[in-house]
Amino acid sequence: MNIFKGLINGMIAGATPILLAALGGTYTYYAGIFNIAMEGMMLAGAFGAVLGSYFFHSWLAGLLCAILGSTLLALIFILFAVVLKTDEFITGIALNLFAVGATTYLLRQIFAVKGAFSSPEILPIPRLHLAGLEKVPVLGEILSGQNLLVYLMLAALLLSVYVIFKTRFGLRLRAAGYNAPSLDSSGVRTAVIRVWALLICGVLCGLAGAYLSLGYVTLFSENMSAGRGWISLAAVILVNGNPWGIALISLLFGFTDGLGLWLQQSLPSQFTAMVPYLATLAALYFYSMRRKRLAR
Amino acid sequence: MGRKLISALLGVLIALALGALIMLLQGYNPLSTYAALFSFSLLGWSPLATTLRNAVPLILTGLSASVAFASGPVNLGQPGQLLMGALFATLGGLSLDLPPLVMIPVLLLLAMLGGAFWSGLAALARHWFNMDEFITTLMLNMIADYFTYWAISYPLYDAEAFSPMTPQIHRAGWLPEFGDFNSNVLVMLAAFGALWFLFNRLTAGYEWRLTGQNGLFARLGGVNIERNYLAVMLVTGALAGLAGGLVVMAGPHRFLKGLGANYAWDGVMIAVVANNGLVGTLLYGLFFSSLQTGALGMELITAVPGEFIQVLQAVIVLVVVAGRGRLDWLLERSLARQKARERAA
Amino acid sequence: MSVPFLAMQEILKIFPPAVVALDRVSVEFRPGEIHAVVGENGAGKSTLMKVLYGLEAANSGQIQLRGQAVQFHSPGQAIAAGIGMVHQEILLVQEYRVWENIVLGLEPAGWFGRLDERQALRSVQQKIDEFHFNLDPLARVGEISVAARQKVEILKLLYRNVAVLILDEPTAVLTPQEIPQLFAELRRLRAGGKTILFISHHLEEVLELSDRITVLRKGRQVATLETSATNQAELSRLMIGRELARPPRPAAAPPGQPVLEVEGLSYRDGAGRLRLQDLSLQVRAGEIVGVAGVEGNGQFELVNVLMGLNPPESGRLLVQGHDLTRAEILERRRRIAFVSQDRGRLGAAVRATITENALMTHHRLNPRFTRWRGWRLEARAALQFARRIETQFGVSMASPEQPFQSLSGGNQQKVILGRELLLETPFLLLDQPTRGLDVGSMEYVHELILTLRAEQRAILLISADLEELFRLSDRIVVLHRGRLVADLPAVSASLEQVGALMLEGKEHPDGPQAD
Repeated sequence: MNIFKGLINGMIAGATPILLAALGGTYTYYAGIFNIAMEGMMLAGAFGAVLGSYFFHSWLAGLLCAILGSTLLALIFILFAVVLKTDEFITGIALNLFAVGATTYLLRQIFAVKGAFSSPEILPIPRLHLAGLEKVPVLGEILSGQNLLVYLMLAALLLSVYVIFKTRFGLRLRAAGYNAPSLDSSGVRTAVIRVWALLICGVLCGLAGAYLSLGYVTLFSENMSAGRGWISLAAVILVNGNPWGIALISLLFGFTDGLGLWLQQSLPSQFTAMVPYLATLAALYFYSMRRKRLAR
Repeated sequence: MGRKLISALLGVLIALALGALIMLLQGYNPLSTYAALFSFSLLGWSPLATTLRNAVPLILTGLSASVAFASGPVNLGQPGQLLMGALFATLGGLSLDLPPLVMIPVLLLLAMLGGAFWSGLAALARHWFNMDEFITTLMLNMIADYFTYWAISYPLYDAEAFSPMTPQIHRAGWLPEFGDFNSNVLVMLAAFGALWFLFNRLTAGYEWRLTGQNGLFARLGGVNIERNYLAVMLVTGALAGLAGGLVVMAGPHRFLKGLGANYAWDGVMIAVVANNGLVGTLLYGLFFSSLQTGALGMELITAVPGEFIQVLQAVIVLVVVAGRGRLDWLLERSLARQKARERAA
Repeated sequence: MSVPFLAMQEILKIFPPAVVALDRVSVEFRPGEIHAVVGENGAGKSTLMKVLYGLEAANSGQIQLRGQAVQFHSPGQAIAAGIGMVHQEILLVQEYRVWENIVLGLEPAGWFGRLDERQALRSVQQKIDEFHFNLDPLARVGEISVAARQKVEILKLLYRNVAVLILDEPTAVLTPQEIPQLFAELRRLRAGGKTILFISHHLEEVLELSDRITVLRKGRQVATLETSATNQAELSRLMIGRELARPPRPAAAPPGQPVLEVEGLSYRDGAGRLRLQDLSLQVRAGEIVGVAGVEGNGQFELVNVLMGLNPPESGRLLVQGHDLTRAEILERRRRIAFVSQDRGRLGAAVRATITENALMTHHRLNPRFTRWRGWRLEARAALQFARRIETQFGVSMASPEQPFQSLSGGNQQKVILGRELLLETPFLLLDQPTRGLDVGSMEYVHELILTLRAEQRAILLISADLEELFRLSDRIVVLHRGRLVADLPAVSASLEQVGALMLEGKEHPDGPQAD
């Protein structure tokens, strides 16, 4: 029972940042932006979270600063890719570099440390105990007591499904990706839709980053996003942006993450750490084979 | 060519000015900081030698990315290929002991083999299963990172060391030094020359370039796209692998933990600012190396932390790339304006 | 004196760096008229309309609507002011349904921005009924005919209550049989008080439909005339600056041996749809066979299968008796020259130099261009070859080392033709070789094709332009839904006959049938 609970909780913990960032990526995916800057946005969010929480002694301030940090990156993306029309791929690469550089630099400047910063004054984001749900048999322990961001993630998932497929904004958002000239000729400026998509992506990646540095652990370390942004991107591409598909894939990655921890009893940790990346390759394999069959 | 040069210089200058602005905001003196930076990397034989030596992995991974991007494949796997090249060269250097004249070429070949092996995995995944190399190479980077970390922590672990690293390779595999200058620069120049010739003079290079610009056109023209794709992936992997081998053979002579971290995205970054041009890659590689080498001096002499260079690099990339398109646009528009005035008069 | 309803005054538009697209053009449009804008390709018709619609900014001049100076920076502003445009390349979201396309940008919405689907469907249906358009609002746009998509575009504007509709060559994508229906709809709109600006270069259409005509030539406004007071001869003189002289077709030499033989060719696409069905076709030496058909009836797939981009499901393909059904592309290229309809996508690498583009395929087939057993390129031979194309095909270029994209469209096509013809293959596949060319270049290409026939080459010519097909071909075959439904001698076939075959797949359509 405890192993089961541990695996499920590990899965949720691993899935949360990936799902949040991938949901952000799904907005830009539908808007027709080749956005590979999720990795950098997450990292900026993680740093902002620690910064805010440490200085204001409040996890809420941390959360807000996380959103601020990653949205700042989104704004730079907007400036270059949308306004100045620089290549999106190049902008993304430069932003990821910028995020790594800026967070390491600021880590050194503000906290005067190299590598990682942790302090008891950083307040983590609390877990939420829902009295009603705790009483549910078997599942109660899983449904209740999760990190606040896990519940926010669920809300973001449901909201995204609604926004993308049921609203006026969603219709325009998808049109921006399917056929931008058509949207422009309909009197809606594609550039404006893309700006919104990137801002939403910034907010969601900020939450993902905050989960990394104030939820999963309570510290910031250099490059702590560790490729999770890339995995989110892979998830978005693999399911063509469908939010439910993204949820499924994120849970799968979360599971392999938990599995890796569990495997550490029998394998060197370096190999268990590879598991999520190998899982991404496996998912890509199945996706590509399916597509290849369809193309025949 | 003239316009390209102006655009590049202008971009770098604007980026440096932006960097100066950031320094001013933080209360540093930008002039003395830049002076410290460049005097530590360019003024005098010894700084110059260090800059050159540090430029080698940057240029080789940059060339790897440039050739790949210009030919079509989105090979983002330079970090992983570099690590595997370094690992192969280290393995060779630990197990072989030959006269230097044989040993060094063998180790260099092994390094290229290691890189080509790793990029070849991604190429075959694409060839057989149609898996996009864009994601595969990224994931293989992570896997190579953990794999080499494991290799130097267990099977190749140096029992006398405090942190994961291998013992030093046999002396015959060390690259000779001439005063302050390391001969890794010569190896890099030879690789650059060979690559330039391949890319600009050989039939294969012609086909790669045209395939990179318009794959469908090349395919209809009778070019064997699949075979060229494999060749490009292997060659670019070998280049990154060579970079890794040279890092080991010129520097610490062993595989240290975190060896590749310094060069993680630098190759791609340099290719991107150089617009995938080979000569541009060489020049930007030298320039970025002078920044990275000077960072240490800047930190020693002024109060600005070395990490500032990472921020500056990203700013340069954005400004140069955005400026490139912008300048052409401005020029064309001013020509059109002029014409309009002539007509209206 | 009354204020003109809509007036464009002294419009000057220069494309960077120095192409004068519109040279101080002034036109007035009246309410409730059908006003045709005619001119050759490149005369500035589309640019004039794009300036009016806010897609292009003029360098100088002004636009007045009901006496007010207006300036649109985007189509959205033009639509809000009551001016809408139906583009030549239809701008709809294929993945969306008809109603979603129509309301996009002006959607009825409820709480929390929720799309009010029921309200949207109701107003779309109302517009469909009001103007007697025969359309299913729930159909997916990707799955309806081109003519129906055009109706969706028009409805989209009517839903926005525009007073002025601009149509950019609306008949170019239609079959002869679909055109009268469009004209009837446009006349109904005029009766409803709408002003219609109609771009075309087909004079018969313009004379039939319009009230007034503005003629543009090389960016200048040549005349604005009442349709009732002019005729075809005058208009074509104004358009071209001289009478249109059609050279007599040289008599065909008796065709020789069969060169291209296609037997029972079928092709199924990735989604499992049969795109080519049991195609059999012969082209003899010294013969031009024209392929007619509405776009999307298998032309694209036929080209891809012939060139080896897609493998056929069954059937055989022979050139001069050599079986090329499953051959590598390079092997095909020894016997097949190919000129595509899309220069930038299939015909050239536009950023590479002219020489590099000229060299393609030759570098593998002709040992003259390489050394070291084919490993090294012979740069000098390549340069000489580009120069030979320059002189032999009259290409005007600054230097063969210039980027290909610095050439004009006509010169680009000449380089491509030169490259392909000098492969000296017995068979040529020409897929809309004059698409997007100006009249001078078009005539050049036509002459060249006739010369090639005289050299006893076998030519398969795919074209969307029926006039071109009738002018050049010895035989015309018609593609309809992936099948060849007719094989007619060009001299005895009629335009109407081929039009009916393209549309219905048979000769005598017995009334309008739903597909």
